[in-house]
Amino acid sequence: MFFRLLMESFRRQRRRKLLAGIAILLGTTAVTAMLALATTIGDRIHKELAVYGANIVVYPKADLLDVKIGGVDVKPSTGGAYLYEKDLEKLKTIFWANNITGVSPELPLHIYTEATEGGAVDAAALGLWFHHALSSDGNSALVTGAAQLHPLWKISGHWPSESSVEQQSSDVVIGSALAQRGNWKIGDDIGTALPFTGTGIAPMVPHAYMLRVTGIVSGDSAIEGKFLMPLKAAQILANKPNSISRVDISARTKPEDAFARKDPDSLSAAQREIWYCRPYANSIAYQIREAIPGAQAEQVRRVEQSEGTVLERISGLMWLVSAAALLAAGFAVSAAMATAVLERRGEIGLMRSLGASKGSIALLFYTETGLLAVLAGSLGYLLGSVLAAWLGARIFSGDGTSAVLIPVLLPVVVAMALVVAITGSTPAIRTALGQDPSAILRADA
Amino acid sequence: MAQLSLTRILRRSLVHRRARSVSALIAMTVSAGVATALLTLYADLDAKLHKEFRSFGANVVVTAPAGASSLPADALAQVQQAAGSDALTAEFGYAVATTDRGTSVVVAGTDFDAVKKLDSWWQVKAWPAATENDAALLGQRAAQFVGNEQAVTLTFAGKPITLHGAGRLSTGGDEDSRIYIPLTTFTCWTRIAPSVIELQVPGGAAKVEAALTRLRAVRGIDAQPVRQLVEGESRIVDKTHALMYGAVLLIALTVAVSVLATLSASVLERRRDFALMKALGGSQGQLVGLFLLEALLLALGGVVAGFCVGRWRPGRSARRTSIRLRCHECR
Repeated sequence: MFFRLLMESFRRQRRRKLLAGIAILLGTTAVTAMLALATTIGDRIHKELAVYGANIVVYPKADLLDVKIGGVDVKPSTGGAYLYEKDLEKLKTIFWANNITGVSPELPLHIYTEATEGGAVDAAALGLWFHHALSSDGNSALVTGAAQLHPLWKISGHWPSESSVEQQSSDVVIGSALAQRGNWKIGDDIGTALPFTGTGIAPMVPHAYMLRVTGIVSGDSAIEGKFLMPLKAAQILANKPNSISRVDISARTKPEDAFARKDPDSLSAAQREIWYCRPYANSIAYQIREAIPGAQAEQVRRVEQSEGTVLERISGLMWLVSAAALLAAGFAVSAAMATAVLERRGEIGLMRSLGASKGSIALLFYTETGLLAVLAGSLGYLLGSVLAAWLGARIFSGDGTSAVLIPVLLPVVVAMALVVAITGSTPAIRTALGQDPSAILRADA
Repeated sequence: MAQLSLTRILRRSLVHRRARSVSALIAMTVSAGVATALLTLYADLDAKLHKEFRSFGANVVVTAPAGASSLPADALAQVQQAAGSDALTAEFGYAVATTDRGTSVVVAGTDFDAVKKLDSWWQVKAWPAATENDAALLGQRAAQFVGNEQAVTLTFAGKPITLHGAGRLSTGGDEDSRIYIPLTTFTCWTRIAPSVIELQVPGGAAKVEAALTRLRAVRGIDAQPVRQLVEGESRIVDKTHALMYGAVLLIALTVAVSVLATLSASVLERRRDFALMKALGGSQGQLVGLFLLEALLLALGGVVAGFCVGRWRPGRSARRTSIRLRCHECR
């Protein structure tokens, strides 16, 4: 009997259920979408902030002092210290390895060659990774490189491939200013075997080497006058196998707080453990120092500190909006539920006059409410997830939409819908049950 | 007479069903409050976000044009004038000197007060006072190449100078390998005039572009934007803006449903009243008018209350409390 009543109520009173259903649906959609976006906003903003470059930099501890003004080496250091490229695999073994989203090592050198129309050209060059797969045994590879850490670099043509590096030749891309200076274009071969006639430091290039131009890069004045080549080629040219002089690392971090600024070596063992296991830029840098022998890792404070403030503000904003959505949804659902019960006072009167107990009527109404909340809530969860995915994909540069379907949110959202719907309908049910059935029936007639 | 009875009916219907009116009023207040808070937030979202981006430091770098070694003497004043009074500026002069251990090091002369404001990410234990003319901030890498950090002896073109080391500076950037000293001391010692002005124009890409146009009209300087900063800022601000737009729309829709449900509840509850009024000779129009008027009154009350609630910002009141607390402490 109870189930029949329940079924018939849903089957026959579709219009009456509509407002309550829509309110729950809309409310849960809004809450799911906002919560789904709020929980993933950190990663998304981190991706957007990648324009600012690396937030951790690694260099050899024993390196000489840079004598750089405005990005130009005033006095290039000779015989500085180097790190081993092979050691970078150890980055995949540190505690926060999965938070490292980009790794870009570099090896600077000079290239002496001749322009197309003649005339010596002496230009700086950088050996870099391009779409390099970084992996240690058993772990999935992180495909990373310089272009990923510098989204502002614009290439016409394509980045050199690492497989193009041979003992006598390699692919290379050149900066737009350099391309003008040497009058080079994509497809040209640049030989580096010219005898050095200028003054200054002797060329680093020991033997003939062919550079095939596969692209011209622009968008950042720091590299527009340089050759960019695969790291392997740079190591062959500079005769420094397996060497790198600096690594830029982009990592997802937790904004710095007072605890993050503590010196880990001054903390107690338990506190140190906590410090170590939080993804602060400082603790990731500390772990990198531990993993790579002879390396000094520092957070790039300009990027890291400012990213922290921006990230904190934007996620704060999202949580605020989620709270507003929750509040609005709560009120909408409870008002709609109250209306739904109010509309059916007549039924309550009839059931009461036919001898139904208050308890069984309340049970019927609460079951109906609960069913509605679960159905509309689940549908709202799905809709909200789709909406969040759509909004996320539209607003932020394309990434996997699957990340937005957060299963944890389903029970949370449905439970919230249940609680709000039941709380919202309680006062109306109580009033209706409290009234004299004959009065209700007469009033309804 | 008709006017009088209408107000009377209205008053009666609002007061008589007090519980109903109050709950409708609360629903309206919350809806209006949420809507006001979100719209207020949305309205000055861009300004607020741009303010956060000030922590990234300079977004325009002014240098001497190719060929000239230093900026004109009045460059700072001219740049400040062209960029507007709310722009932050800091002048830098650079020279390569030798430390007491014989290592080459970049020495930069600057105004510490200006840098402190512009480059908020510099980690310095204690900034030297503006009056300290012989103070030096040692970059944490540069400090390793200095023998005596208390009395730093530097030599430039055969001229030695001894400075009082005020502390270490760490930034994780090029600054770490430099030594910073006050600009006046720097120019007296090296006879090199400032060659770089770092400039922060607040307010996003359009403002930066406008300031750049004005700066390019100033003679004897070359102004370049720091592209990744300008582009990154507009990217983030645009995206957050779009996100908030979506959120505000969605919540406005929810709020609308809440208002709809509240009003339809109040109509349903009074079907009998309406029937009675109609039987006593009220026309359809009068009844609709009465109900609309009542809803309007409730909505007005709710909106006024909600507006006040929505405008109230925790930050502002916190500031007020803290002032009050401070006053209390004084007493």
